[in-house]
Amino acid sequence: MQRARERVRPEPRTRPRPSRDDLEAFRRGDPAGTRALYQSYGRLVYAVAHRVLGSHELAEEATQQTFVRAWQAADRIDVDRDPAAWLATIAKRSAIDIYRREARRPKRALADVPADDPALVTLPPDLGALDAVWRVRHAIDELPADEATVVRLQHLDGLTQHEIAERLGLALGTVKSRSHRAHQRLAAVLAHLREAPA
Amino acid sequence: MNDLELLDDLLAHPSTWAEPPPELEDMVVWAVAEATVPMQTDARTRRRWRRAASALAVAAVLAATLVVGATVVIGSSSNGDYAGDLRATGLAPGAHASVVITHTDAGFRVNLHARRLPPLEHGEFYEAWLKDAAGTLVPIGTFSSSNGRVTLWSGVSPRDFPTLTITIEPSDNNQASSGQRVLMGDVHAR
Repeated sequence: MQRARERVRPEPRTRPRPSRDDLEAFRRGDPAGTRALYQSYGRLVYAVAHRVLGSHELAEEATQQTFVRAWQAADRIDVDRDPAAWLATIAKRSAIDIYRREARRPKRALADVPADDPALVTLPPDLGALDAVWRVRHAIDELPADEATVVRLQHLDGLTQHEIAERLGLALGTVKSRSHRAHQRLAAVLAHLREAPA
Repeated sequence: MNDLELLDDLLAHPSTWAEPPPELEDMVVWAVAEATVPMQTDARTRRRWRRAASALAVAAVLAATLVVGATVVIGSSSNGDYAGDLRATGLAPGAHASVVITHTDAGFRVNLHARRLPPLEHGEFYEAWLKDAAGTLVPIGTFSSSNGRVTLWSGVSPRDFPTLTITIEPSDNNQASSGQRVLMGDVHAR
């Protein structure tokens, strides 16, 4: 039964970590290397950037900037190691740089802004939270698509398990088991979060 | 906050689920390829770059003078109903633009002043778009000048379509956006 269930499980949605050849290609500026790195980490970079900037347009800009900066520092890549932590650091810095630039940009007359407007107090984004976004997003992308859908409907859309079963046309027990499996995987990711930040 | 609360918080946050648009992959590949160009040029090409940079510096001074003059002219004729600044994407480092939009009987006149857009290849052109919150794109015109002022017209209101983007398009009989955005930004009512 276990083997049968695994056979029908949808594939995770991310590409595996880039190979040594991919990283060497990226270091040379070969577009195939850039594409490989993006396909492995582009969604994670984008999620972190969106968390910092709260805007799709700015998150796109930060994502592009992250990969350009990564290439500019590519001579420091260890092609034998997973570049995730290195790229996550560049992603956070790129997003925060854009955040600071945008915070300096005058959007309306100061006289029109209430004194308690949060825009007047520029707080740096919480780096610990950004590590968590990176890791949780990675864990979500590693989930089989059917489990990720249940988690998304449950947490982002706020549906109950009954409502999810109705919407997806599934038995309630199936929704419960998918939710349970997914949360076990996600909790395991977070268990290591504080000891080993991205 | 314990681990479960942190997990709940993260899973309920839209950013955790934010999906990049499909065209971003090509934009990233292009941006990195653009960044590699100066590093791959030989010494002769680098000298040409330095000469071009000097010429750009002179042009920038002239452009700044024109901007001041143009601002005075626009200010004296019409302040427009909407305005905004467009930011460069990774595909066009150093590019920027300002836009003033005026509501007329014929529609919305879009006065765009762009600077340092990347040069076009043969058969390419710039295209301007207005976008609404749902991502619906409305084309508002094409142009070919990488530096200077153009006037475009929109049939939709910037109130409903507040995001303005400039893309580079190939002449390929495809009316959809190429996704190769060089400038983007929001316009706001004045």
